[in-house]
Amino acid sequence: MLDPSEIRVGVIRIEGTNCEDESAAAFSSLGCNVEKVHLKQLLGDVEKSNCRNLMDYDALYFPGGFSSGDYIRAGAIFASRVKSGLKSQVDEYINEGRPVLGVCNGFQILVEMGALPGTDSGTTVAPNAVLHTNDSNRFEARHVHLRVESKSQSFFTKNYDTNQVLSVPNAHAEGKLMMDKSQFEELEKNNQIAFRYCDKDGQLNPGYPWNPNGVAHDIAGITNPKGNVLGMMPHPERVFHGWQHTDWTSSGMNPEGPGHGRPLFEGVVDFLCQ
Amino acid sequence: MLEPVPNAKNVFYVNLEEDLAEVTSNLGLGLLPDEMEKVKEYFEKEKRKPTDVELQAIDQAWSEHCCYKSSKPVLEETVFGLNSSKKVIAREDAGIMEFDDNHYYAVGLESHNHPSALDPYGGSATGIGGILRDVVCMGAQPIALIDPLFFGDLDTPRDTLAEGVKHPRYLMGGVVAGIRDYGNRVGIPTVAGQVAFHPKYTGNPLVNVGCVGIVEKELMIHSKAGDIGDIYILAGGRTGRDGIHGVTFASRDLDAGADEDIGAVQMGDPITKEPLMHLCLELNKMKLLTGMKDLGGGGLSCVVGELALDGGFGAMVNLEKVHLKVENMPPWEIWVSESQERMMFTVTPENVDKVLARCEAWDVEAVTIGEVISEKRNIVNYKGIEILNLDLEFTTGGPVYKRPYNLPEYDVGKAAPLPEYPSDISNQIIDIISQPEVASKDWVIRQYDHEVRGKTVLKPIQGPIGKDVPGDSSVIKPVDDSWKGLALTSDVNPYLMEANPYHGTMNAVEEVCRNLASVGARIDSLADCLCFGNPRRPDIMGQFRATCEALKDAATAVDVPYVSGNVSLYNETQDGAIPPTPVLMGIGLVKDIRKCVTSDMKNEGTIWLVGKTREEMGASLYYRTLGVSCPKVPVTDFEAFMPRMEQLIQAIENGEVVACHDISTGGLALSIIEMCMSGIGAKIELTSDLRADIELFSETNGRWVVQVKSGCENDFEKRFDFAVKIGDVDDRMIFTKNGKEISSFEIEKLRNDWMSPIWDRLA
Repeated sequence: MLDPSEIRVGVIRIEGTNCEDESAAAFSSLGCNVEKVHLKQLLGDVEKSNCRNLMDYDALYFPGGFSSGDYIRAGAIFASRVKSGLKSQVDEYINEGRPVLGVCNGFQILVEMGALPGTDSGTTVAPNAVLHTNDSNRFEARHVHLRVESKSQSFFTKNYDTNQVLSVPNAHAEGKLMMDKSQFEELEKNNQIAFRYCDKDGQLNPGYPWNPNGVAHDIAGITNPKGNVLGMMPHPERVFHGWQHTDWTSSGMNPEGPGHGRPLFEGVVDFLCQ
Repeated sequence: MLEPVPNAKNVFYVNLEEDLAEVTSNLGLGLLPDEMEKVKEYFEKEKRKPTDVELQAIDQAWSEHCCYKSSKPVLEETVFGLNSSKKVIAREDAGIMEFDDNHYYAVGLESHNHPSALDPYGGSATGIGGILRDVVCMGAQPIALIDPLFFGDLDTPRDTLAEGVKHPRYLMGGVVAGIRDYGNRVGIPTVAGQVAFHPKYTGNPLVNVGCVGIVEKELMIHSKAGDIGDIYILAGGRTGRDGIHGVTFASRDLDAGADEDIGAVQMGDPITKEPLMHLCLELNKMKLLTGMKDLGGGGLSCVVGELALDGGFGAMVNLEKVHLKVENMPPWEIWVSESQERMMFTVTPENVDKVLARCEAWDVEAVTIGEVISEKRNIVNYKGIEILNLDLEFTTGGPVYKRPYNLPEYDVGKAAPLPEYPSDISNQIIDIISQPEVASKDWVIRQYDHEVRGKTVLKPIQGPIGKDVPGDSSVIKPVDDSWKGLALTSDVNPYLMEANPYHGTMNAVEEVCRNLASVGARIDSLADCLCFGNPRRPDIMGQFRATCEALKDAATAVDVPYVSGNVSLYNETQDGAIPPTPVLMGIGLVKDIRKCVTSDMKNEGTIWLVGKTREEMGASLYYRTLGVSCPKVPVTDFEAFMPRMEQLIQAIENGEVVACHDISTGGLALSIIEMCMSGIGAKIELTSDLRADIELFSETNGRWVVQVKSGCENDFEKRFDFAVKIGDVDDRMIFTKNGKEISSFEIEKLRNDWMSPIWDRLA
């Protein structure tokens, strides 16, 4: 059993990763020991004193941004650099059930790595899904509503009420999860869907702009079958506090109180402290 | 005319005994004949011929863009002498002001007009890149971007465009995409701005880029070299042939042949910039730098000398060490190239290896290119041969011109007779709210990430989710363990400026103050980007002078300084000059962000008008849609305004206010309707003696619509010289006069008419 201050979280970045500060702040606000670590440090591509071992972290966080400019395909370059040097470590990490979180570009990276939708044994050799260009064909920043899926068994969603409706900001151009029809069925069957886009009352099929990218089944975030790897397009770290919500001045939300993203991070800390 | 310098490939001695006009044109210089004479005199004293590299360097340094040769005398008489300037901590690449006991905030504002007219995407993107570097080189972490943009009429028929002029829809699409792709990728939120339209911007759009940063006081660094012997390290992007003669290009009119100047536009690369920013801030925090400055206009030719001279020294550079994008660039091109994503550090010799190691760790290319010397000269060697040796005070001295001017009329004159009362006032209201200049800008705003970094307390789009209401100001919470906030806004109304440069400017400063006060912020500083036509025309210099006088008068009344800005002249095409455009950015301080107020109408609270409405219809949106010409533009009364503004802020801090929105273009009608876009309507009684249409659409200064918390009405009313209750919330939007309904709308109908204009015009 760990105390929060003993939890080491690695927030992994390369050039173009740009949400590392607020991502690190989410975990450090809960008392964790967070380190922003450049992928080169994990790959052993820097002087020895600055090298880091992936396995030394209790949780990994791939934050949002535009890693390597999202050139080629969003997240593809980051993912291939991870896989080229760290594939077996990443598989081991995932198989041990340790938490891995990817938000926005981080989700895209996890999909490109084959960690999501994933298998029972770490990453797949090739990615078998893609986060495709939004139906609107543009980058859009807007707050959306998310429904916490009742069947999700993951510690990431454990601190939310079943079917709780959250408001979380989205900011992406490529967030439409696409894969084979049978794989969508697998996701349902394995309870891998963590969050769906919905309207303000929690109703599904809300249409654009509530489903901001046109994704099938309103899927906003998924886990691997085990539930220890979560990828999601909306940014929970941007609503850690009440004052970060776009409508706090009208909704009656306490600006000093918790925002809707906080329970997700608390879920990880609770899991590691068990 | 040109004679090769022995052993130096592509470097030439230039014979100034020949026809100087021919020399200027052959080398592509922007120097004027009398300036060339001065150059000639200098080299006669030095008893030698100049090299082409030296002439190019002087050409850069003496451009309007770099040395403000036309604007300086006017600025010195007006805005430079303000008492409030004492509050400015530093004024270098960015201006520095105090935020709290432990922090400064940094402000930069610049225009990127000429490049954006040619290449809207690249021009706006590199504008963002440049302003970020200006803030970073003070040691400050950028926390917000702001982009005031000005285009021609989106409905301009294509066949009326002059040759070589790109359509405003194309330009707007490209500029917004450039800001989006650069700003979003570097991860700095774009939180505020302005999009304005006027036919006179058709061939010459204005793209202004502002940035605010935060820095711990002890980490602020200056743009000057530390000591003799310090080493110059050039870090970041490679130097290429993009952005050659950028400043000379920015210092003359845009004409039909301007497309041939495309090489003057730089190419941006946000993914080189992103780690470069981390690197700069980290090196500064590790105290490994003695000075830092970004490479902007004029490239190496400006940065090397300025860093040295501002420290009281000179510089010696080995130009062949510069890392290049392409081989075989002639030395003069390397020296003046404005390639992006480059920073210059000065470092003590013992720290050079440490700095280079950190550059390597961040995958940022870096090379040592020279050192600081005692003599105030700039010496450049290329593969061991001296190719430039100039007195720094001579090069940076630059000429100054007292240009002749014709002042415009300051007096607003008599009002035109009132037009006939509209037969259908509801139609008139719809006509107003569906004008692109006031319609919803969500098409633009949502393409920018305004929340990355997670510090945006009030967003540019406010109100309940999905019920967009435009905010007056955005608010950032820059320091983790403090509730203090920074509010940002920008404003200028080109139609008011066109009608009356003096009062148009006074209006703009007041509106900036109002916008900040609406959220509960006190104005703390201003930045100004002064965009005008060709200064060699006395009418343009007159506009410039009248504007600067007003900037001085307004800032004196409000007691705030101008901390940053630039002057952009020669904004002219064959169709004439742009309207005089002093783009203003206002920075306000919020004592406690938990008390901030947004503009969206809330469920409960009565609706009040603060400030009295007068018949001041000149250049108003109402008169413009009717085609009525009237010189009587709104004037300002800062003496009455200042206490009113302070009381409003105190009412907000005291929790008496639930919603607040300033009244400007489109008048009371537009202000109320925008507030009601939250889905909550209002029943408003027009209470003044004015005719209903005048009361609805007058753009009189000094006014806000305020929704007051139930039970606080008495306390609220007592605060003001003029505050009157004008209505209550309702299901619909209703206007009444003398108790009789004159207009009534479904909120959804108004929303559609207000939301669609930009979407209908842009893909």
